[in-house]
Amino acid sequence: MMYRRLLVVSVVLAGLTLAACRRESPPPPAPVEEAEEAGPDLDSLRAYEDSVRAAEEAARLAAERERAVADARAILEQRVHFDFDESAIRSDTEQVLRQKLAILNNSPQVQLRLEGHTDERGSVEYNQALGSRRAQSVLEFFTQNGISANRFQTTSYGEERPLVNESNESAWAQNRRVEFVIISGGDQINPPGS
Amino acid sequence: MSIGHLRFSLALPSGVAVLALLSGLPPGLGAQDVEERFPGVSLGLTYETRALPDLAIQPFTGRLGAEATAARAENIVARDLRYSNRFAVMDELPESMVQEEVDYAFWDQMGATWLVAGSVEGVGSSRVLVLELHDVVYREVVERDRFPLADPDTPEFRMSVHAASDAVVEWVFGEPGIAATRIVFSRRMEDGTQDLWVVDSDGENLRRLTNHQSISLSPAWSPEGRRVLYTSYRSGLPRIYELDLETGAEKQVPAPRTGDYFTPAYHPDGETVAFAVVGGGRSGIFTYNLVRDCCFQTLTEGRSEDISPAFSPDGSRLVFNSNRLGVGAPQIYLMSYQNSGGNARVLSPYMYERPGYYTSPDWSPLGDRIVYHGRVEQRGRHQILVSELARQNRVVQLTFDGNNEDPSWAPDGRHIVYVGSRSWGWGIFITDAVTGNTRTLVSGVRPNLPAWSPPLTR
Repeated sequence: MMYRRLLVVSVVLAGLTLAACRRESPPPPAPVEEAEEAGPDLDSLRAYEDSVRAAEEAARLAAERERAVADARAILEQRVHFDFDESAIRSDTEQVLRQKLAILNNSPQVQLRLEGHTDERGSVEYNQALGSRRAQSVLEFFTQNGISANRFQTTSYGEERPLVNESNESAWAQNRRVEFVIISGGDQINPPGS
Repeated sequence: MSIGHLRFSLALPSGVAVLALLSGLPPGLGAQDVEERFPGVSLGLTYETRALPDLAIQPFTGRLGAEATAARAENIVARDLRYSNRFAVMDELPESMVQEEVDYAFWDQMGATWLVAGSVEGVGSSRVLVLELHDVVYREVVERDRFPLADPDTPEFRMSVHAASDAVVEWVFGEPGIAATRIVFSRRMEDGTQDLWVVDSDGENLRRLTNHQSISLSPAWSPEGRRVLYTSYRSGLPRIYELDLETGAEKQVPAPRTGDYFTPAYHPDGETVAFAVVGGGRSGIFTYNLVRDCCFQTLTEGRSEDISPAFSPDGSRLVFNSNRLGVGAPQIYLMSYQNSGGNARVLSPYMYERPGYYTSPDWSPLGDRIVYHGRVEQRGRHQILVSELARQNRVVQLTFDGNNEDPSWAPDGRHIVYVGSRSWGWGIFITDAVTGNTRTLVSGVRPNLPAWSPPLTR
């Protein structure tokens, strides 16, 4: 009897190890029956089932968080656009910036480079200044909302890096923008509310 | 001689009287139209229409196997003198009509005032071009000199002939020509990278200067023409570099302040450089001494972007561009160099409710004028404008076709090089501010920000 119990325990343990390795496969049925016969081993079985559930739950949460982090990263990197010859923050831009703000508040390690761009119209050199001013407007939005200026770099590419290499209103509207590059803390993004 | 070339000035209200003279406006350009384009501005007829003196070229001669070299030199000199826009050049007359000896009666009959005769002498590396300037009316040689020629198989050969052409201009007018010069510019490639290229003032010898496959912008010549200062993004952020054209060595101007470093320019002392530092909350124009490798100094500083500085030829003042009156309305400002800070005044024709858009200033090497470009209000195009400091800052419009930007003065203070786009594409153009004559320097490339060198003869 004693030997049989030992055998059952060892079989259950073996199954448990196996299940731990292959979380998605169901527990082998045979030892369960034997365990029921064994009676006192229900505890370890429940512990095993709990651990599987916990592992599944953890995996679900991890996947959920991974998605939330990816979404947060996409929001952080989402570019914002400007009107012709303007550096003022538009209302649609402000909505995007507020979403970024929530993430930045939650992710103190994240640092961004703000890259200002213009469309091809106007002076090449002045467009460098205009691109810089656009990056500066975004920086000011963040600092006025309590984020330290130390977490940002700004630079300008003027009209030299168009998103759309065409000469029409739609291309120009897309090219007048600030891009957001995560320069540090990219592995420590915390989605809002986490 | 053409009366079709018109120059327009942004003048005081008295310009109304001048407007009455305007019977010969370019096609499709009414006076009212122009009033709309540059607000608060009226037009004047200003391109000079006086006749250019006729200059004939006696075929150049060469002995001891130098005939081909002589013919090449003659072609180069003839074109240089035509491009000076100071002569009506007569050359390539039928050989049967031209004697080897100078025949004053013949040239007088042809209407020539001046005659240039040339011969190539010597052998190998000691070849010289001998040029004579004849006064056809007085039937005498007024000037004669020998100009060393570089090896005809090198790019420097053309430059050595250009130096002779420039001497001819100086013999007649007391000021040298601009043939022995080059234009450096940034060329945008298909893949979006930009490097520096250089071309002789007659459009020959187009070649690449840098090969960083990054973004290179805003080249500026040192006063002696041996160095070029420019902006490059090759470190990831825009910084200022100096390229030594003889050694190919490059050095970076230090960047002790946070921000983007843009739009460099040399002071006439050849040691001090001025540039914009933009971003980081406060922007401005700063200077650094490249020779002593020290002395980072502030010329302007504030919340607006001050960019594109250029010094007056005596080094006492500078002109720059700033958006302190509005982000969409950059203006041109003048400022004292030594006594800087708060004393900048607007030069461009700013009006409160229609501020306009004026950028990219360059100070004439003669000191009397500043060129820049301004936006044409209705169609969003830009044209080249000149402010005449000695005439109450009267503004003259130099270009009318297409879109034209980023002007730079030739050392003669009358020719201007700029980037233009036309229905057929992009090019670099040269306009003579006196006659209005325009030629295409380079086409078939997408150029940016040309800068005209000082005289490069040595």
